[in-house]
Amino acid sequence: MKDSKAGIEEILDDVLQSYPAKSMKNRKEHILVKDRNKSELKIKANTRTIPGIITNRGCAYAGCRGVVLGPLKDVVQIVHGPIGCSYYAWGMRRHQGLAAEGGKNFINYTFSTDMQDSDVVFGGERKLKEAIKEAVEIFNPSTIMITATCPVGLIGDDINSIAKQAEEEYGITVMAFNCEGYKGVSQSAGHHIANNEIMDNLVGIKDKELDYKYPINLMGEYNIGGDAFEIERILHKIGYDVVASFSGNGTADQIKYSHEADLNLVQCHRSINYIAEMFEEKYGIPWLKVNFLGVDATIESLRNMAEYFADPELQERTEKVIAEELAQIEAPLNRYKELFTGKTAFLFVGGSRAHHYQNVFKRIGIETVVAGYEFGHRDDYEGREVIPDIEMTADDRNIPELEVTKDDKKYRLRISQAKKEELQQKMPLDYYGGMIKEMEDGSVAIDDLNHHEQIKLTEALKPDIYCSGIKDKYTSHKMGIFSKQLHSYDYSGPYAGFKGHLQFAEDIAAGILNPSWSYITPPWKEKTTLEGSFGGGE
Amino acid sequence: MSELKKLNVNPCKMCMPIGAAIAFKGIENSMLLMHGSQGCSTYMRRHMSTHYEEPIDIASSSIDEQGTVYGGEDNLKQGLKNLIELYSPGVIGIVTTCLAETIGEDIRRIVADFKQNNELGSLALVTVSTPGYGGSQFEGYYLSLRRIVEQLVEEPAHKTKKINLIAPNISPAEIRELKRILELFKLDYTILPDIAQTLAAPYTADYSKIPAGGTRLRSIKKMGEAAATIELGALVDSSLSAAAYLEDKFAVPVYRLPLPIGLKNSDLLINILAEISGREIPAVLKEERGRLIDTMIDSHKYNGQGRAALFGDPEIVYAVSSLCQENGVKTILMATGSNIATFNNKLREITAANREQSLILNDTDFEEIRNYISEYKINLMLGNSDGAFIEEKDGIPLLRIGFPIHDRVGAARQQNIGYQGTNTLLDRITNQLLALKHDNFRENLYQKYYQPLSKSIAAESFTEQSFQTAELSVGDQ
Repeated sequence: MKDSKAGIEEILDDVLQSYPAKSMKNRKEHILVKDRNKSELKIKANTRTIPGIITNRGCAYAGCRGVVLGPLKDVVQIVHGPIGCSYYAWGMRRHQGLAAEGGKNFINYTFSTDMQDSDVVFGGERKLKEAIKEAVEIFNPSTIMITATCPVGLIGDDINSIAKQAEEEYGITVMAFNCEGYKGVSQSAGHHIANNEIMDNLVGIKDKELDYKYPINLMGEYNIGGDAFEIERILHKIGYDVVASFSGNGTADQIKYSHEADLNLVQCHRSINYIAEMFEEKYGIPWLKVNFLGVDATIESLRNMAEYFADPELQERTEKVIAEELAQIEAPLNRYKELFTGKTAFLFVGGSRAHHYQNVFKRIGIETVVAGYEFGHRDDYEGREVIPDIEMTADDRNIPELEVTKDDKKYRLRISQAKKEELQQKMPLDYYGGMIKEMEDGSVAIDDLNHHEQIKLTEALKPDIYCSGIKDKYTSHKMGIFSKQLHSYDYSGPYAGFKGHLQFAEDIAAGILNPSWSYITPPWKEKTTLEGSFGGGE
Repeated sequence: MSELKKLNVNPCKMCMPIGAAIAFKGIENSMLLMHGSQGCSTYMRRHMSTHYEEPIDIASSSIDEQGTVYGGEDNLKQGLKNLIELYSPGVIGIVTTCLAETIGEDIRRIVADFKQNNELGSLALVTVSTPGYGGSQFEGYYLSLRRIVEQLVEEPAHKTKKINLIAPNISPAEIRELKRILELFKLDYTILPDIAQTLAAPYTADYSKIPAGGTRLRSIKKMGEAAATIELGALVDSSLSAAAYLEDKFAVPVYRLPLPIGLKNSDLLINILAEISGREIPAVLKEERGRLIDTMIDSHKYNGQGRAALFGDPEIVYAVSSLCQENGVKTILMATGSNIATFNNKLREITAANREQSLILNDTDFEEIRNYISEYKINLMLGNSDGAFIEEKDGIPLLRIGFPIHDRVGAARQQNIGYQGTNTLLDRITNQLLALKHDNFRENLYQKYYQPLSKSIAAESFTEQSFQTAELSVGDQ
């Protein structure tokens, strides 16, 4: 890492100094410098955000309704609560969804009970019941999902029993999610609530004879900017069949028979690893940590999958597809690498993307100097081996844990224990190693970054690219740094798979090499020029 | 929503706190703290950032499950301390959310207590109760302005010639236009809120955490001294009106006007400014007015073919309807998701003389709007970008105005007010109608005239309906 390496500890001290004592102590534990020689690299994560600092985190409702349930195309999502929460979750994450032939697609819609003062005082149950009735009459969906906003739990509306009644009355699937915004410490709590409910009441409620040779589920892939389209394209080309997607470009209907798959692919470990574990416990389906962001990671994931299914023909086809795809993108990708070498990136995104995108950048010559998660847990930073050591907090205990047991009728052992152990030596089967192991020495891992820290670290480390979301994008621009949103992709994508990596490199080039940057100069590059040059003479 | 409809499908409104956020962003050196779950501030930052293309930094007290049981007081106080330490603001707006209101947080008391126990110097704290279920962004916006005035304006020592201008939720460029007009009349003014720079900050080499600009605290304190208040907001209830408070409390006369969009509405503002300032209308404004009328005449043939649906912020719908009316664009449908007592009557007044009766929908949603749009053969939508899904699904063009605009750039630079802004907006409307014509006009001509002729047109087939459609697509004969 450039000239900043020597002073990284001083830089971090400077970042922390601005806080009142109590907040400084708290934030210090959320930041670490990668050092291979240290026996333990422990980071604090998934704890409460300090009030009054400007966090990027969202709430449990956002994680449930927005992230996990949002992409399900065939579901009418009724948000029970005042209007804002439904409004703000409407089309916000740019997850794409193509309706299956004859299938319904409600992705352009959001539904709300639009609670008023009187509903908060007298209860909103009647309104919710009537809203469900209207939704059934007008939209005739096969599944309705009801999500709770802050007031719902507090005023005691029983959305679960309403869902149950509605299910009986209309003969469709109606589910309720108690994802009030104040639960947990970030959107991660909402992922958990959503997934538990899906596992408990949706997965396995329908059996289906599948004529698939290699049936797989895609988990923790939300089809932002069409990523899942590219991933599915590659998988189909090789010969896999996606039974269900959790939840990008997915449907509730497919999830109902997702227990018929033979392997679960986990893209975003944070949002769904516990469900993958439950699938194994209940149905005998192992999970493989994959990563389709970045060509190298994609290739490795595809090879691991082929090896799991242990079919030489499949392995051969995998290699053929890899070769074909690489042939189309390798040369331009290498040219981009030459162009970008020496540039640095600052990543703050997600519960997995700050890790995944490091190898996307690496392949095109860009080094990551800071990486952090908005809502990751310790295992996402340090690897699954730390899970037994993670202390349960009061906030964790408030999210109901789901216990699953073997489903005697539907359980089917996919691979033997011995085979599994053999594979585990070669691939992340039922395992994720976390982000920190793959980071370079001297780079910084930071959890729950805030506005102040963004500014301080940007000034000190002078990255060429800042990757986060819309809330800090313009701060980065104001500081003269190119920013690329990795939540919504700034209306571009897909970035996954083979073609996606090239698309990403092209977008980075279009951004970083845009002539507009030549009219501004970040203060540390040229202190004398203040406002750039006027007049367009250059 | 109407009593009969319990399911809001694609809302045509937002919640109160986001209106509050916009209002507070126009105060100099201010920060905003939302008392509630942190998701609220995150969602609103996201929505405002996309619209203004600017950093929108809003703090949260991040109430957690424990806070919902034992109260969020500690969170709020700790949040204020951190905010003060990290940002050194001159003003902090503290607004509530659904969560804080449902658990019954008394922010006035908590903040009073905080003031008593901390050395705050000149820092001003303003509290506003904005439950998400208490109204829409419209009420949140105006109520915040009223609370700012109630809590900050001091007893006037004397009267001055200065005027107050209570600005509606318009763009930073439009605030700059208002200032230009006020300055043309050589008026000394306080504009509240002033987002001209705060939500459209020029690029400078030194990024500052709180953007420059905004209404000064010391100017707000003196609003009671003013000679008059102009409040731009024809539909603002007096309980939400900062101007009404200044009148009741300090006898500052009020001029209540609609947004100056359209000839008539712009005239209203200009004439009142002439009256208050005692000056002639500046020549440059007269010239701009003349040019607008020239445009209106030149474009009238095309405008007459517009069948418009207007939706979004009630004040913008009201003002733009007036512009449409003046130019023969038929205001077929006018709708807002907010629940505004005077919306129906006020819009009925300006559309009463129309041959085709207008549909006015208060407290509605986009599902209802969409249904009427197809039923009434609308060919132009004017409103915020939340109508984009109708454009996408039904192919009706959407001219994006108002807040929010999420899928196009330049919302903060849109300038639709005064004679100049009206002229620009009118051109956009006309051009949209022309684009529609150019897209299919040859084909329409061919289909409607040439082919029937070859088959020898039957007189009886020339029904009322086909006459209407023919007129729509061929108009300027």
